Amino acid sequence: MKTHETLIKDLAPTKFTKLGVIWTSFLVIVVVIGAIAYVDQLIKGQVVTNMRDYALWGIYISNFVFFVATSFVGSVTVAILRLTHNSWRTPLVRIAEIITLAAITMAGITIMIDMARPDRLLNLFIHARIQSPITWDVIIIPTFLTVSLLLLYFPLLPDFAILKNHFKTDSPKMSKLYGMLSLNWTGSDKQKNIQTKSIKIVALLILPVGLILQTIDAWLFSTTYRIGWDSTNFAPYFISGAFVAGTGALVTVIYVVRRVKKLENYITDFHFDKLGKLLSLACIIYLYFNINEYLIPFFTAKQAEMTHLDSLLFGHYAPLFWFVTIGGLIVPIIVLFFKKGRKPASMFAIGLIVVIASWWKRYVIVTPTLLHPFLPIQGVPESWREYSPSVHEWLITFATLAMCLLIITILVRYLPVIPIQRTAEERDELKTAKTTES
Amino acid sequence: MEENNKNSRRKFLDKGLKLGLATAIGGMAISKISKLNAKSNTNTGELVELMTTDGTLIQVDASEIVEVVSTHNKENGYNVREGIPNRKFVMVVDLAKCKNALKCQQACNKGHYITGDNAWLKVYKMQESKETAPYWMPTQCQHCDEPACVTVCPVDATFKRKDGIVLIDNERCIGCRFCMAACPYSTRVFNWSEPEQPEIAKDAEYTPDYCGSPSVKGTVDKCDFCPHQIVKNELPFCVTACPNGVFYFGDKYEDTVTNGEETLRFSKLLKDKFGYRLLEGLGTEPSVYYLPPVDRLVNFEDGLEEFTEFQSVEKPEES
Amino acid sequence: MKTLINYRFIFLIIVSVIFLSMNVQNAYAQEPKKNTVRLKADYVKTMNKEVAFNLRASSKVDGSNIDVPDIELTVFNEYNDEKVKLGSTITDSNGKGTFVVNDLSLIKPDSTGLYNISVSFKGNDAFKRASKSLSYKDASIEARIITEDSIHYITATLKDAATDSVLPDQYLNVQVERLFKSLRIGEEFNTTDENGTIIVPIEEGIPGVDGILTFEVVLKDSDDYGTVKALVSAPLGVPVVDESTFDQRTMWSPKKQNTIVLVNIS
Repeated sequence: MKTHETLIKDLAPTKFTKLGVIWTSFLVIVVVIGAIAYVDQLIKGQVVTNMRDYALWGIYISNFVFFVATSFVGSVTVAILRLTHNSWRTPLVRIAEIITLAAITMAGITIMIDMARPDRLLNLFIHARIQSPITWDVIIIPTFLTVSLLLLYFPLLPDFAILKNHFKTDSPKMSKLYGMLSLNWTGSDKQKNIQTKSIKIVALLILPVGLILQTIDAWLFSTTYRIGWDSTNFAPYFISGAFVAGTGALVTVIYVVRRVKKLENYITDFHFDKLGKLLSLACIIYLYFNINEYLIPFFTAKQAEMTHLDSLLFGHYAPLFWFVTIGGLIVPIIVLFFKKGRKPASMFAIGLIVVIASWWKRYVIVTPTLLHPFLPIQGVPESWREYSPSVHEWLITFATLAMCLLIITILVRYLPVIPIQRTAEERDELKTAKTTES
Repeated sequence: MEENNKNSRRKFLDKGLKLGLATAIGGMAISKISKLNAKSNTNTGELVELMTTDGTLIQVDASEIVEVVSTHNKENGYNVREGIPNRKFVMVVDLAKCKNALKCQQACNKGHYITGDNAWLKVYKMQESKETAPYWMPTQCQHCDEPACVTVCPVDATFKRKDGIVLIDNERCIGCRFCMAACPYSTRVFNWSEPEQPEIAKDAEYTPDYCGSPSVKGTVDKCDFCPHQIVKNELPFCVTACPNGVFYFGDKYEDTVTNGEETLRFSKLLKDKFGYRLLEGLGTEPSVYYLPPVDRLVNFEDGLEEFTEFQSVEKPEES
Repeated sequence: MKTLINYRFIFLIIVSVIFLSMNVQNAYAQEPKKNTVRLKADYVKTMNKEVAFNLRASSKVDGSNIDVPDIELTVFNEYNDEKVKLGSTITDSNGKGTFVVNDLSLIKPDSTGLYNISVSFKGNDAFKRASKSLSYKDASIEARIITEDSIHYITATLKDAATDSVLPDQYLNVQVERLFKSLRIGEEFNTTDENGTIIVPIEEGIPGVDGILTFEVVLKDSDDYGTVKALVSAPLGVPVVDESTFDQRTMWSPKKQNTIVLVNIS
């Protein structure tokens, strides 16, 4: 019981430190500025962006794809690691689920920002055409959101009950809130039974739903004729890309949360080592798909493909392309090969680079293709032949990223970031195992 | 006990949510259908006298009569979403005659009140490779028979009619621009801001079969094959405006196309002059045919004078 | 007392000066330069149907020709020194107007069998008055379809309607009515023989809605007779078959076609 008390004390949510307040306020300010920019966009129209008839999708869409990709982390940690019996995932699952929830919520919001007529949002439901990949997206995103929410919520029930007791004296209001959320969890066998079964179902569901989500996201592009998008490779390419982006985000957020909440005893070097190996695996798989996507077409060197690939690898987009490929893939693979590279601080740096490279990778996928149409670009202003985001677009994009971090921050503030009940059980099991041994 | 029910209820909720979402969408779609096909299944025994298309009078049971809910588009005596019956419109562009006079573009811009930076009809300076001859190629919406743009529209805002014309309902379009991404001919333009059109366009009553009258902010526009002219038995603006008789327009079922001066059998024209279509290999089945630039009547270089690489819509003089 | 009267007097003078000067200015403003209107009138007669006058109003303004819309053009029939108003029409946005007469007996010829028509525009603030006259004789075309050795022909006879005499050596066009412009069949110029008749074979395989074709035999822009058209319909065409995919369930069909798919998924 004593260990459990320390456990609870370590893992229970605590009030914001000064740093926490500053961080949250900063995020709120960024979000508000973005909201103002968005209102301006609504009033003036999307002319405030730098998107025009050729570069018709810009960073709003690549930002959206990034959020969808990052939301795959829940499927990875909870489902894939669970299916492969990697028990070290326990302290990481909750944070993974939080990131998933935040990312998929922001994906839903970001795509609405790109719609030029959000006042007609309901048309997507009233007049939905099932043949359209966007309709598939409209179906899968809320579905994934629901499953993720349940996957976060079901395991939280015992933790909420624990927190209810923990906060009884210090903050009765919070205690009452936690109590309501725990839905009268008593820990009885019957409850545990149902909870285990429910979690099992949802955890099993999240993998196919997550895979379908990434696939549909890829099909938004590969169901068109455009060079660079019309690739049979796209769905698995996106799935593995999501694996990379999600794991990178997980590593980064885990490091920060661990530092801030002083969870060094629970998330140890061992966990980072394992995460490093997982990230390395993800990057290797993604590299394989990148080779298929960007290297092999040089073999047949079709004219249209060459125009596109030349501009990506040697032309206008070369600096960006090589940054995301070398910085975002090759460097992590190399660094993570070494045990020293998998130490926490190094992992944080790598995770950060992977996340930033993932964001820019989606930009490289979305916009260059649009600037290489089949028919020549003529009869339009010269500035339409290029695209670089406008101030409005940057402000709004930063606001969505800030909002994602804000959601994560708030959830981390109020939820136990490591499953208390489960950790306790595992420790007990470990103890009993040790005692039976000796 | 309570928790038992709550947990199992929650499980049910999860499954139910997925089911519910899909069913909700399906349900709304079904409700739309049932509105369209309000039919009573019982025989009322009441007879109604109707006239068939060839003039004979027949008696029909009242229950057999299906009320077609006319959309807000019953202009000009025909259903704008269905199209003009018994027609399939095609266009033939004779590249041997085009010398980039751009009168077609000017007439289209004027007739459709186009004031943005991108015209719907653009005359491209084309040259397949360094050794092959350059030529001028007027291109507008190809009104494909297997339109990629219609397939990807999530809200049924762009649609293909029986008479082959692909139109846009600017009051339904949500501005996602997926149709623009899907079109391989890059013929769609977007209203990124409030279009600055003359009063006559802004005040016009909106109908999908007169694109541009008015244009709507945050939606897509494109060549509409001028149904508003066709119903007056007049040719599209570009066909009439071309001084060199480049554009032929007509009904494929009637097998006749005309450029205002010459009227020819469509199938014969394609056969004699080897009509082909753009990007045929993509399988879009366009309705616009091109006659290759052979036995040219004009010099390619003559068109360079009018060539404006960075402009396709004339802007009014700033006073 | 004297000063008071003086003030009133001066005031009256000032007011009348102002009043007069304003009037003078008005008089000057009442005479802008008006533009001349040119009227064009074509006469088209469709046998057993109607007579139409295709009118066009244009004007040279600032060196360039423009169409004159929204003006009223009145059509008169002049005979026996009388000028009878037949009616009027207002030009559309392209400066064109069509005046149709259904009952030919309303237009009376003069003693020589010549029909005299005048079109006039009485002028408005921007344009001067204008008029145009045209004269024509009445011609008639009788067209019918005959079949010989299972080949179909169109035969037509051109006559002067007043004297009922045939008109040889005139050029007639034979065409089939289409949606926009008619499609020519036969030669470009079919000359009427000594009996004022032409005979033109009808080619096979011309499509038409329900297989019905409407043929036109036309005397085009004759100096004496204007344009005369005879229409004859016959089911000699290939019926049109609707090949559209509109009612099929395809990837590009509207949503109402795919509900069953959706229900299956849920």
